[in-house]
This record gives sequence, C-alpha cells and structure tokens, in this order.
Amino acid sequence: MKIELIIFGKIAEFINNQNIEVDGIADTDAFKQYLENQFPALKNMKYKLALNKNIIQENTEITNHATIAIMPPFSGG
Amino acid sequence: MSEKKIKNIFVNGPIEPAFIANSIAKHNSKTAIGGHSIFMGQVRKDDIKGKFVAAIAYTAYEDLALEKMHQIREEIFEKYPLNCMHIYHSLGTVKTGEICLFVFTSSAHRKPAMAACSEVVDRLKAELPIWGKEIFEDETHQWKENI
Repeated sequence: MKIELIIFGKIAEFINNQNIEVDGIADTDAFKQYLENQFPALKNMKYKLALNKNIIQENTEITNHATIAIMPPFSGG
Repeated sequence: MSEKKIKNIFVNGPIEPAFIANSIAKHNSKTAIGGHSIFMGQVRKDDIKGKFVAAIAYTAYEDLALEKMHQIREEIFEKYPLNCMHIYHSLGTVKTGEICLFVFTSSAHRKPAMAACSEVVDRLKAELPIWGKEIFEDETHQWKENI
C-alpha cells in the first residue's frame, strides 16, 4: 500500500515529507504504531493525523494511495 | 456544506495597517451595518528565559486550514446575524510589533459582531492547522503551542 506522508511544524524538523510503501496496516491506529516504531521521538509528542485532509478523531480505515499528514499541536493566531 | 467558494485567508508576511484601513473603508457602501468588531493579533516580544522573540514564522496545512475555516465561517453565519466577516492570517515571517491576524465582523447592531469576532478567534486558534515558530534574536527558535 502506498502512502504519501506530509509533515508539519516541529515534527518536520526530524521527519521529511515522503512516499512510503507499507503492508499489513489497515487503519490509523496501526499506522500510529508503525510511525512510532519508525520515529521513536514521536512517542513523547502530542500529534494528530489527517487522513486525506480529514483530521482523525477515531480509528479509521486506510486505503491505498492515502495522504496522511502528521500535525503537532496548532499554534495559529 | 454549502456550494459557496472557499475563500483564501492567507497573506504572505505581515498584514499591513493600510490593508486593514482599506478593508474598513470598503464597508462605507454597506449601510445596513451599524457595528463592526475587529480583532488584530500582533507578534509579541516574549521574554523566554532571557531570550527575546524577534519574529514568528508561520506555516500551515493550507488546504485543510481553508476547508476548516470555511466550515467555521458557515457555522458562525448560521449562529449570528452578521452582514459580513473577513479573516486574514499571515504565513511566513512576521516581526514583533507586526500584525499576523485580522478578524473583522459586521452586523446591524454591535452584539452579534462582537460575539462572532471573539468566537472566530477562539475557534481559529484551536482548530486551524497553522504553526508558529518563534524565532529569537539569536536566531534559535521554539515552536509555539496554543493551549
């Protein structure tokens, strides 16, 4: 399964935007586990995912060619 | 969601006072309006452990921020009897003392304009995927976090 990963804020200082190929990941909860294994620094940070431009509030199925954004806490205004 | 066009809110760099003045002036033909409320956010020279903030560099997940802002705008128009509402937020570098946010609401009588303006600012800070990086005078930085 192909996923386009886009990163914002301070998380972009240690993870680059990238296209990844993953298998056996069905939903956003599993994807978070995957991310935290790949990038252990995320374990101690607050962040939210947006799947295809929808901010994830509860576990959601991921389909091929998804775009997933990793977003630290917002600080606009 | 309505069919209305999604408006851009982003401005590169600071929001100039002349832009704000011009925006106010444009309302002189809208004679049903009796009250305007304006909020402006200004970059503060915060002192963080002896280091002073020189500027904030803003980035955003623009597509998502604009969709979310559109939704907030629709909800605010449902909730309050407003004549109009304008929102501008900076991207890129804004120095201390410069304006980074401009929210402008108008209604026939003052109260809806004031309540809507305040609610838009609260929601925008909490819900829009925008990030501010505080750059200190010595060029180190830290990331802001809205509580």
